[in-house]
Amino acid sequence: MSGQHFLVIGNGPAGNEAALTLREKAPDAQVTIISRNLGGSYCPHLIPDYIAGKIPEECLFVVTPDAYTDKNIKFRHGQRVVDLDPMKKTVILDHKEVIPFDGVIIAVGGKPRIPEYLRVFEDSLLTLKTVEDARIWVSMLPETDSVLLIGGDLTSFAVSKALIHLGKKIYFMLTEHAFWPLRPDGALLDEVSQRLACRGVEVISGKRLKSLTRPSGKCVAARFDDGYELEVGMIGAFYGLTPDIDFLRRSGFRMDRGVLVDEFLHTGFEGVYATGDCAQIYHPDLRDYWVSIGHANAVILGRTAANNLLGGEDQTAVVAESIFEVEGINVNTSWWMEF
Amino acid sequence: MPEVDLTIEICGMSGDGTIAAGGLLNAALSKAGFFLMAFDSYPAEIRGFGRCVTRSRVGMEEMLALASETHVLISLDDEQSLSRVPFLAKNATVFFDNRPPSFVEEGRSIAAHVGPDVTLLGVPFRDLTARATGTTRGRNLTALGAFAGAFDLPPGPFHEIIRKKFDPKGEKVVLANIKSFDAGLQYAREKLDRSAKGIFPVPQKTGEETDRVLLSGNTAIARGALDAGLKLYFGYPITPATPIMEYLAKALPEKGGRLLQMEDEISSIGAVLGSFYAGGRAMTATSGPGLSLMTELITHGVMAEIPAVIIDAQRGGPATGLPTKTEQSDLHAAVFGGPGDSARIVIAPTNVSECYGYTVKSFQIAEKYQTPVIVLTDFFLDNRVENVGMPRAVPEEIFDGNVYPDPSLKDRYRRFERTESGISPRSIPGMEGFLFTTTGLEHSEIGVPDYAPQNHMLMSDKRHRKITGAMADLPAPREFSKGGSLKVGVIAWGSTFGSALEAVRKAEKKGIRAGALKITSIFPYHADIIREFMARCGEILIPELNYEGQLANLIGHLFRKEVQRLDRVTGEPFPASIILEKIESLAK
Amino acid sequence: MKTSGRVLAEKVAKIKDSKIFSIRSSNLPTWCPGCGYFGIHQGLNNAIQQLGLPHHEVVTVSGIGCAGRYPFFAHTYGLHTVHGRALPVATGVKLANPRLAVFAVGGDGDGLGIGGGHLPHIARRDIDVTYLLFDNSIYGLTKGQPSPSSPVGFKTKASPHGTTDAPLNATLMALSYGATFVARLFAGDPEAITEALVEGIQHKGFSFFHIYSTCVTFDKQFKTWDHLHEWVHPLPDSHDPTNLKQAMDEALEDQFSLGIFYRQRKE
Repeated sequence: MSGQHFLVIGNGPAGNEAALTLREKAPDAQVTIISRNLGGSYCPHLIPDYIAGKIPEECLFVVTPDAYTDKNIKFRHGQRVVDLDPMKKTVILDHKEVIPFDGVIIAVGGKPRIPEYLRVFEDSLLTLKTVEDARIWVSMLPETDSVLLIGGDLTSFAVSKALIHLGKKIYFMLTEHAFWPLRPDGALLDEVSQRLACRGVEVISGKRLKSLTRPSGKCVAARFDDGYELEVGMIGAFYGLTPDIDFLRRSGFRMDRGVLVDEFLHTGFEGVYATGDCAQIYHPDLRDYWVSIGHANAVILGRTAANNLLGGEDQTAVVAESIFEVEGINVNTSWWMEF
Repeated sequence: MPEVDLTIEICGMSGDGTIAAGGLLNAALSKAGFFLMAFDSYPAEIRGFGRCVTRSRVGMEEMLALASETHVLISLDDEQSLSRVPFLAKNATVFFDNRPPSFVEEGRSIAAHVGPDVTLLGVPFRDLTARATGTTRGRNLTALGAFAGAFDLPPGPFHEIIRKKFDPKGEKVVLANIKSFDAGLQYAREKLDRSAKGIFPVPQKTGEETDRVLLSGNTAIARGALDAGLKLYFGYPITPATPIMEYLAKALPEKGGRLLQMEDEISSIGAVLGSFYAGGRAMTATSGPGLSLMTELITHGVMAEIPAVIIDAQRGGPATGLPTKTEQSDLHAAVFGGPGDSARIVIAPTNVSECYGYTVKSFQIAEKYQTPVIVLTDFFLDNRVENVGMPRAVPEEIFDGNVYPDPSLKDRYRRFERTESGISPRSIPGMEGFLFTTTGLEHSEIGVPDYAPQNHMLMSDKRHRKITGAMADLPAPREFSKGGSLKVGVIAWGSTFGSALEAVRKAEKKGIRAGALKITSIFPYHADIIREFMARCGEILIPELNYEGQLANLIGHLFRKEVQRLDRVTGEPFPASIILEKIESLAK
Repeated sequence: MKTSGRVLAEKVAKIKDSKIFSIRSSNLPTWCPGCGYFGIHQGLNNAIQQLGLPHHEVVTVSGIGCAGRYPFFAHTYGLHTVHGRALPVATGVKLANPRLAVFAVGGDGDGLGIGGGHLPHIARRDIDVTYLLFDNSIYGLTKGQPSPSSPVGFKTKASPHGTTDAPLNATLMALSYGATFVARLFAGDPEAITEALVEGIQHKGFSFFHIYSTCVTFDKQFKTWDHLHEWVHPLPDSHDPTNLKQAMDEALEDQFSLGIFYRQRKE
């Protein structure tokens, strides 16, 4: 194992765990973790609390850059992978640096999903995934009185709680994409809408967004297909996450929306694994691919990928169950297939 | 006043415009009201192919020394900049071109080598400037613009300086360069994550118009000589004194003077002595190897009591040594070099302002005390740039220092009269009735060779009390402390003093009773003042950039016990941190 | 004109009583009786007198050697410097105060050995200094060693088997260095020295005087009075002192022709 160079792309829970596992199990190898974002590994589920002002920015980070140095893991942050060649076994960074590897684990996670028909409004929509995104929200919120949340994924509920805490007026547009990628039934949706309304949130349903304009620098005007108009300070799009793997489209992997891997998280190319939110994992019993969400799953998958890269043969396992709390309702899930 | 202490480095390969960018940066920051000290390194080879590094330390108060760590590194060439990575401070910021013309191997990108705490900012220097101006030539300005944008520096001073510098090349060039700069500025403002730890807005200096100019030690020396009425310069090229000659080659004729590049250092000092003998102010500047050649004539000047002004810009020694590295190892040679008891006046400035002031004064002192005066500087001091108040000489400093004979002595004149002060009034060729011949042989009062035992004693005594008497006109040692008894007293000279003072101030902040004594008159030295300071100190520390502890050798005997020597010959300026470490360990 | 050492001494004694000697300093020369330097001294003093140069506006700069003692014996401002460096010091004096008449004097050891590197440069710079090179082909002050102009086979205590190095030709050197006024003279003919000096001093540029002399104490084989009187002769009448090439040929071919070899016309 010594003298080998292992790369981990992505610094979320999966990537972080993968890097730590590689270091633990291959003490003589060179381990590098590459992340597009600046700063250490952060907890996405703490971001709403950060926006609410309940925790300072430092508390978002679970792993600081120094921790990597202590473990002799080279941490390259603020650097983005733009290409990966599994045959030549190199990755190329966006500043044209070419890095050879002996093994690589792709753990880039997901990026906020914007449905096709909303892409034209992309510039006016705010998303909330990274610490950078969060900083933008934090800088804009003091000047904002009202916020429109559209979509309704799991994060959006936590965000609405945070905004209520800050005293903002909230409009919440629940669509068929609510709870994405879960498929809620109608009863659950109604229940959630009611609870939101009780807290002063104006729930909009049954409408589609027609246009977004900017009458001034400080507000956005939304118009819906039934003529309903709304002027707010910020609009946040919460349509869930989709694997952030566009940079791999030319690499020759089998891909759908994510990278298709077998039950060992292997891509089919020697030394190349994908794990976490960006992977679609084959389930031999179901003969189909499943995806995972949730912090706990990501950690397990990261560890599994690392073990397998080093020669192990762990099959993927998932946490028995994950519980998401939405407006006081517990939604129980660990994995699903449809989306 | 907000704290600012920022060290900015620009590193590139020859041809990247590194030095030019550094110059513009310094000028703009000076214009914006900051204090700064800057020092560049050039490629070692004459072909000029190699690494260029500019270092600028910027702050709200006078900068005393360079810092050991860099806060901002602007990389114009990643491979060269790799050498600067070990000097990056925690949470430093590195700017680099993230659109290089071709793919870069892993090890050769600076991105592969910076620690995780470093904020790495990729700015497409080449692309931005190519888009703005059609060529990549202005990429160094784009890099500067990115820096200014990221750190919220006002672009105004930069635009002004660019305009000023490139005006001679025409309006098109000026505008293109401003465009290049602005392209970087815009990019930084719009695209860089300015909330990153390594970027912060630099507080601005409010109001005050500054009359400050950027001067290097060498330029200050040349200006000082000119302002003192220099009419003749005789010199020989030698690193690092050559810029003095080059400056005066242009400036002297404009003031009606003349510069001769002589065939060697011996003829240079010969002509300087001849000039002073005839009443004209002349100067030569050299370095260690040249000083050694001048030794014979310098001792002649001491014996024949002829004034001279010699600038010795010290460099790494001995012998040919390290021509482009800094050192302070000519003290022995400057004070004592040469046969016989020939100690002469040696003064050593510690910063650019003093380079100017002491050069101005040296002419007067040389004339009054009728002996060669050596002004000791060093490579670092000569080549570094500080922004200082516009230096001006006051008339009292530049008037004729000669002591002329009383007219009543006509036809009875004794050139080497043994006066109480030791200064024998001297006549100048052209004065009727005051003829004399001066010689390097021991001589009687009228100047003819005389080897009588009594005469030699008396003349030696006369010459020495004359030199000792010069202390009255030479700058006294200056103390920087809270006074009273001190745990550690640091005595330093030359450019090392700045580092020593910074270390002492830091030690004081940590609660250590430390003090600094600045010695600028190396010979004769003010023994009483030095002894008094030493008596109040528990320990005396003498840091210097030479191996043999030359100042310690000279004045160490004034202390009741052994002085602590801190001798360093790395060719680099003395880091304040090393002095501070030693102070702390002595203070335990 | 042939004279022996004794006849010269008589001549000297006669002149001593005249007013011309007022320019002499109060110091008695330390040169040996019969030394050729007396003749040069006389020649130079007379030139100064003739030109009416006030002696407080005359500076004599010398090196080390018997010739170097010259300034002590002249009633002018004097600068007795170190070995071989009279020329640069004289340069400094002249440039500082161009009103002064500046003379550099030194022997052949001083000027052609250690000082050899300075002659080309004062010549090519054409500094208005008059340089008198007292050439007796020996180091007299240090008691008789060969000098750069000693002939091959010269026997001294320092060269018991005779020297083997070819001698330098000072006149040829000065001409090749671009000196704009070059004359070669003989200490036994002070009048000729005076005549040439009067011209050379007034020449607005560097003037070089190569003056053969004797060392009566240490040289009994080469440049004795008798030999010199026998060998020297004036330049041919056909000599054109404005022709540099001819001057150089002359210097190369004939070691003992005397006169003004070359003068460059000055506007």
